Amino acid sequence: MAENLTRVYAMGNVEVRALAGVSLEVAKGEFVGIMGASGSGKSTLLHILGLLDRPTSGSVTIDGTDVLALSDHRRTLFRLNRLGYVFQDYALIGELTALENVYLTSLVRGASKDEYIERSADILRRVGLGDRMDHRQSELSGGEQQRVAIARALVNSPSILLADEPCANLDSQTSKSILDLFARLNEELDQTIVMVSHEDWHKEYFCRIVTLRDGLIGDMVECRKA
Amino acid sequence: MFSGIRVSAFLAWKSIQRGSRGTLALTIMIIALIFVNLVFLPSIISGVVVTFDTQSIDFDLGNLVIEPREGSQYIDGVDGLQKKVEQIPGITGTSPRITAGATYFYRGRNAASTLYGITPEDERSVTRIADYMTAGEFLSGGDTDAIIIGATLAGTEGVEEGGLPSLEGVGVGDSVDVAYPNGATRTYRVKGIFETQSFGVDTAAFVTTREMSRVLGLDNQASAILVKTAVNGREEEYKTEILSYGVQEDVLTFREKSGGFVEQAIQSFNIINAISTLVSLIIAIVVVFIVIFINTVNRRRQIGILKAIGIDQQIIINSYVLQVLFITAVGALVGIGLNAGVTTYLTAYPLVFPGGPVYPDVEASAILRSIGSLFGVSLVAGYIPAWRIAREDILTAIRG
Ligand SMILES: Nc1ncnc2c1ncn2[C@@H]1O[C@H](COP(=O)(O)OP(=O)(O)OP(=O)(O)O)[C@@H](O)[C@H]1O
Ligand SMILES: [Mg+2]
Repeated sequence: MAENLTRVYAMGNVEVRALAGVSLEVAKGEFVGIMGASGSGKSTLLHILGLLDRPTSGSVTIDGTDVLALSDHRRTLFRLNRLGYVFQDYALIGELTALENVYLTSLVRGASKDEYIERSADILRRVGLGDRMDHRQSELSGGEQQRVAIARALVNSPSILLADEPCANLDSQTSKSILDLFARLNEELDQTIVMVSHEDWHKEYFCRIVTLRDGLIGDMVECRKA
Repeated sequence: MFSGIRVSAFLAWKSIQRGSRGTLALTIMIIALIFVNLVFLPSIISGVVVTFDTQSIDFDLGNLVIEPREGSQYIDGVDGLQKKVEQIPGITGTSPRITAGATYFYRGRNAASTLYGITPEDERSVTRIADYMTAGEFLSGGDTDAIIIGATLAGTEGVEEGGLPSLEGVGVGDSVDVAYPNGATRTYRVKGIFETQSFGVDTAAFVTTREMSRVLGLDNQASAILVKTAVNGREEEYKTEILSYGVQEDVLTFREKSGGFVEQAIQSFNIINAISTLVSLIIAIVVVFIVIFINTVNRRRQIGILKAIGIDQQIIINSYVLQVLFITAVGALVGIGLNAGVTTYLTAYPLVFPGGPVYPDVEASAILRSIGSLFGVSLVAGYIPAWRIAREDILTAIRG
């Protein structure tokens, strides 16, 4: 689904090749881990897959749509309807409660009130936050915030869930619960997940591990049957 | 589209509800004060106009003034003319006046001002001076040795009226010597003192037409005839009407009679008002712009996140625009309240101008215009910063 991607940052006269030609195909229901040293281009790749950035060259096709050909407005709609993105630092809206953060995108999609409240509450319960729905960001722990962010990413049943180091700021206990949650979503709902990580022990959760090295795919390991 | 507005409203409301109360209150207060500023000055200006008009009509000129035709000093055949004019429907009274510049002497003091000769009954049918006697009584038809004097001209013992003609303390029953322009001098007993707050009237004095005609040797003649109409504000129509009845003399509305003075004053006031309005609106633009600018800059990251999770930038911009509309609406409401307070106060304790006491006259059109321009201005000032931040690249915004 991603072909020969390159992303070149021009910094004055110096060019930084964050991605030097990456081709990657993710099948429905896969749980792919992207690993690699710092600066190897993991976030850059995920931004492009998440339609937050455009590659310098190459193509990206999701569910048969050439997403690079879309206008900005259509890309926004595509993110809304097809993608779920989890940021390293949660990126919740501070003025909204956990529940409001989760149902905001459903509101945009024009769902009825009963429907989106029901659905959002259901997902929050699923990530173990049934009793924290009315808390604001400042009243939640890091792990809880990250779970709200995951619930927000999942609420519209996205084609792909993209997560950029979702556990980077969490202790290993909380990290494990997040990864267990991902694994469960992957198994129970057949949720496609692409996740960036640099922790070796995360490997056991992934179906496939893609290792980036200097903007290229250095290694691709199939570790578990999907 | 509809659900888009719903989301904008949702975000705007949460932001107002959970954002900084202090900033919100301060911004609303500033908008309210700007509103008061926009409404207040015009209300004083139109108050001045109203005061001037009512004072002129009630005490000085009536609604219309008939004057001798070009080249003559007096109107002849006053009785006939009065009858002719009074039969016009809607005209409720006429009062012929003889005007002369006179010098008054009292206990070695003297003052020069206007002396009018009036027919008391006729004068009562046009002006309200008779209702504004502070001492003594108004003239009656048979009086020949009586004079009534304006409060300023009568003056107060020991007080010099700062350049205005004043006899410094004449009272009812005192005798005043009056020198006419033809050299004749008469002694009159002061029958009454009136105070109208119009300085042109309060510096004048009145005797009867009968007396003044005799002194000046006039017969059925007048310097002017004041005309009172049933309603104010239709002077132009009545002027045409009177002329159509074959009146040969000059007919002037009270506005025309008072010359360019009011028009000029209004014009100057309007220039001041335009400048003040402009400054207020610029302040409104700057304040709203800064508030929304700081707001959006502080939330750059949040705006980036909203876009990243698939919320259209127009929804985000609209949420700021709605916040601005809310702030402006509340600000205008508070402003209306404040303005009502100021107006109530100034109605109880009016500003005193040379033409009389001025009450703020708040016109609905001024309020609507102010609300309109405030909304226009804040929309622009809110939209631009929101638009600038919201169209920023997502990753740049999220990195902060
Ligand atoms: N906006 C930018 N402008 C210039 N260079 C950039 C920009 N973003 C990233 N880079 C460069 O691109 C390269 C890849 O960055 P990227 O963020 O993808 O690394 P990463 O693999 O996610 O690293 P980490 O594990 O530290 O998050 C790095 O060398 C980085 O310096
Ligand atoms: Mg990274």
